[in-house]
Amino acid sequence: MKKLQDQHFYELLNVEFNASPLDISRAYKELHELYREDSLASYSFFCKQERQEILAKLQEAYSTLMNEDRRYRYDRLLIERGILPEERQFQAEHRALRRASPSNHFIRNPILKITDELKALIASNSVIQEILSYDILSGKDLGRIRRELGISLDVIGEITKIRPIFLRAIEDDTFDIAPSRMFLKSYLKAYAQCIGLDANIVANRYLKRIDEQKLSSPTSHDHADK
Amino acid sequence: MAHVWPIGGGKGGTGKSFLTGNVGIMLAKQGFKTLLIDADLGSPNLHTVIGLFYPERSLSDFFSKRVSDLEEVVLETPISNLFLISGASNKLDVANLAFEQKMRTLRAISRLDYDYILMDLSAGTSFNTIDFFTLSGSGVFVCCPEPTSIENLYRLILSVYTRKIHHLLKSPFFRDLTERAESRYPDATINKPEVLLHVLKEVDPEKAGMIEKILQAFQFRLVINQLRKQDNPTLGSLICQIIEKHLCLNMQFMGNISFDERVHDGLCRKSPFVERYLYSQVTLDLRSVARGLVNGHHGQAVAPLSMSQV
Repeated sequence: MKKLQDQHFYELLNVEFNASPLDISRAYKELHELYREDSLASYSFFCKQERQEILAKLQEAYSTLMNEDRRYRYDRLLIERGILPEERQFQAEHRALRRASPSNHFIRNPILKITDELKALIASNSVIQEILSYDILSGKDLGRIRRELGISLDVIGEITKIRPIFLRAIEDDTFDIAPSRMFLKSYLKAYAQCIGLDANIVANRYLKRIDEQKLSSPTSHDHADK
Repeated sequence: MAHVWPIGGGKGGTGKSFLTGNVGIMLAKQGFKTLLIDADLGSPNLHTVIGLFYPERSLSDFFSKRVSDLEEVVLETPISNLFLISGASNKLDVANLAFEQKMRTLRAISRLDYDYILMDLSAGTSFNTIDFFTLSGSGVFVCCPEPTSIENLYRLILSVYTRKIHHLLKSPFFRDLTERAESRYPDATINKPEVLLHVLKEVDPEKAGMIEKILQAFQFRLVINQLRKQDNPTLGSLICQIIEKHLCLNMQFMGNISFDERVHDGLCRKSPFVERYLYSQVTLDLRSVARGLVNGHHGQAVAPLSMSQV
């Protein structure tokens, strides 16, 4: 058992060194529940000063590990002290490197809002612009845009709370719309919003393609192949 | 050898006797030879919970050495396989026992031939209560989801913790360690038990490690009783987390027991709850606690009790 003051932030929050922001915020929430001022579970166990110290320490750990820059610097500190193993240095640097690229920055921070950065990336990418110039969209097109932006499906799933199996079905054009066109539309909107596209345009173009496909023939109508 | 479980809880009225009596009945019906001991010397009432109204002999016969063998004060109960050492008709001054008396009693208890021995302890943090925990190295704590009850629970556990460390430190092997710890931090052994261990670690990491091991060997369990619908059902595991984190004790949450008005009715009708209300939520909850006691000791799964056995 280590004294609280001697624990480093990862120990304190009881998370792995490579914990994601989501893990960290979850761990913090759980511990805060345990130590907060009006917590029934720890009532009378700590004196006022002790509790405040613990809460302050937790708060510090949380805000450090949630901030990419501060976390990187903190990791370096731990490596210098020999707490974090040497090979972690590579990972810490790697993380810093990945941070440099805006698209990957988005992967590391799934909680991020749509930034101007992302919008600029979309505007400057010729492949994306070409796909967006058509008036219909297939799942394959959406997948290509997503990959161009370097955003993983898992991240979209995490943000939109849509199950990855549905997201994959949208991209594979296998979403069975018969019973759930409503769902598909709202999923499409959330998906589009998540990767910085106009929700209505994407949803309409995607559904339009499906409708056309139904009307004409079962053969593929993929403009990307043209 | 019997598994001895002292059952305590700090605050009065949390359901220690209720739990002891009813879990005892369940263990007995499951086929375990079970002995209940009413060690609540100041206010004994376990016999009433299990429906034995006129206990003929009691623990005080053993204390006063009227009988030499503890087995002689064991009473049969209306339930087969279930036996009782009552605390009723104790002499009124029996509530305060010398440490040697407690040692003698526990030695006698450990020689008894039963599968399970449940000891119903009194509320509060008198040495009577604490020593049964420190000496047997195990314990079930009963607590209600209320600040008052939780406060007293922590106080009891801290008392047990401190008393155990004190016992260890008083023995010659640890004596020099205490002195060194006290010279460095005056009051450290008295004020905060949590701090004490850290101080010991700085002074002598090796011996502190030994104490830590002894403390970790404690088998403590927690039951949350009288959980109402609006209460947080995870409270018990949160309390266990606090204790494991800050006192390095091994505390395991055994489950919640729902609040039920009929517990009162059952007591007034003087019939054991689990016999009268076979199909209530409380009976189900008690059964899982009984199962937890059995499983925890054998370290393997035991087939769930069937309704007919209860």
